[in-house]
Amino acid sequence: MTLFDLWLWPLLAVVMLPGLLVYFGLHVVERGIIFVDLALAQIAALGVCVAIVIGAHFGGHSHTYLMSLLFTMLGAALFSLTRFRHPRVPQEAIIGIIYVVSAAAATVVLSQTAEGDEALKSLLLGNILLVGKEEVLRTFALYVGIAIIHLLLRKRFLMNSFQEDKARRMGVSLRLWDFVFYVTFGLVVTSFVQIMGVYLVFSYLIVPAVCGALLSEKIVTRLIIGWTVALVTGVAGLLMSIEIETLDLPTGPTTVCLFGVTLLICSGLAWRRRRYSP
Amino acid sequence: MFQKLLTLAALLLIPTAVHAGSGLKIVATTNDYAALARAIGGDRVTVKSLAKATEDPHFVDARPSYIVALNRADILIESGAALEIGWLAPLVKGARNKNVLPGASGRVRGSVGIQLLDIPVELDRSQGDIHALGNPHFLMDPLNSGIVARHLAEVFCRLDADGCPSYQNNLSRFSQMLNTRMKIWMETLAPYGGTPIVTYHNTWRYFARRFQLQAETFLEPKPGIPPSPPHLARIIEKMKAAGMKVILVEPFQSRKTAEVLAGHTGATVVDVCQFPGGLPETPDYFSLMDANVNSIAQALGGVRSN
Repeated sequence: MTLFDLWLWPLLAVVMLPGLLVYFGLHVVERGIIFVDLALAQIAALGVCVAIVIGAHFGGHSHTYLMSLLFTMLGAALFSLTRFRHPRVPQEAIIGIIYVVSAAAATVVLSQTAEGDEALKSLLLGNILLVGKEEVLRTFALYVGIAIIHLLLRKRFLMNSFQEDKARRMGVSLRLWDFVFYVTFGLVVTSFVQIMGVYLVFSYLIVPAVCGALLSEKIVTRLIIGWTVALVTGVAGLLMSIEIETLDLPTGPTTVCLFGVTLLICSGLAWRRRRYSP
Repeated sequence: MFQKLLTLAALLLIPTAVHAGSGLKIVATTNDYAALARAIGGDRVTVKSLAKATEDPHFVDARPSYIVALNRADILIESGAALEIGWLAPLVKGARNKNVLPGASGRVRGSVGIQLLDIPVELDRSQGDIHALGNPHFLMDPLNSGIVARHLAEVFCRLDADGCPSYQNNLSRFSQMLNTRMKIWMETLAPYGGTPIVTYHNTWRYFARRFQLQAETFLEPKPGIPPSPPHLARIIEKMKAAGMKVILVEPFQSRKTAEVLAGHTGATVVDVCQFPGGLPETPDYFSLMDANVNSIAQALGGVRSN
């Protein structure tokens, strides 16, 4: 059976890893900071580029992982500081600017070395087909850790995302909690990007959350709907690209297209629900 | 949702194609090795190339079929000079096939028996995207293709003894053809001996050495690094000073950059390719080299008559 022989770990990755991303998606969609994941991934990538150039020019081992972690934290600080309420400047604009500047900065930094191109590609264009046992288990362990933090502190995080006014009234230090939120989110996004690539991260984050929001008001129900959508679409995308041998579809883009189809189906269901509900 | 599950079930039921043929199943990293394997293997082998002819062989993105093909392969042919260093190892790891692991009898290194150029004295990435084992674009010297063909015939014979007479036969036909064509190519390019040409990447060193051209000027400031404005300005000066009138570009390289330079210097941009299939009507190695040699000669000839 080639399916489990060759594709066991990609399949397990698709089943085990997106769950936490779907949860973060609920927050991200509610806060209206849709592109923050791409910006965080790009900042982490910039960190790797900086580490590579330092390594190439000053010798010694380049601490790429440490540097990407450091930059992720910088990004988290940046995003928690820019959660302000400006009448004319939405936070999404700041996120876009951070994204494009860090992407351009990465290119500028990389022009000083040759090695970086591959590193940058492997960082932003993960390929699910090539994922192995160690990577899946290591990432899963990280996600379990982060899930425990969020489970313990869920009231805080949910209030900050879903009831911002209440949180402000209560005098909660939004900045501090946002920082924790963005650091954990950044860790999830950067590790997920390395396995699945940028497009899939975005799809896993946003589409299940939007489907949940279309079909339910309750957070728990939304989460369950989101998990179902992510699981079915992810597995279907992987199987389609593997099993239709004549077409030899690239896995990531196929799955992203399927997410588009899933969203259409969910919108149809939502429309029916509105129409027939009293 | 129900319909979706149905589609899913249908997909699972599509039977996986089984290769029943007894011949050798060969995977080549790039189309040049695939073409040589077809020439030597003939009907007895099935050959698949991973990188497309128009794709940059330094970067190849995995598809499911690549892993499946590697999983079923008897033989994997690679350059042996780290051309595929950025992408081959994880594919082979994912394929779980002991026939094609490094060091296995089915893992063929094209560079065996070939004298590589540009072997770096000092390994330092600040010099660009250099290949530690030397310049891997050696098949552009036609005589090296003869060495690789011989090597392939040896490997095929070892792994499929029954087919050996056929492989030997194909090899001698290939070698004869190579001798004939080589004379023609040498004659075609002979009038331009010593002429300097510009190339995008350091791909044409072996070709230039064989045909007595000079290919020491590159649009890339360092291998793998995209052209920067100051570097291009220096190249323009150099081209004007040395009267260089031909720029070679491959399908996956920036033709636009070459055209801008051509606009400044009056040079001609020539489309060439290392891989059979990368230019129109070049199904095999000979037709590809015909096309390369003829377009380069034509461009150099046009310069002369001006």
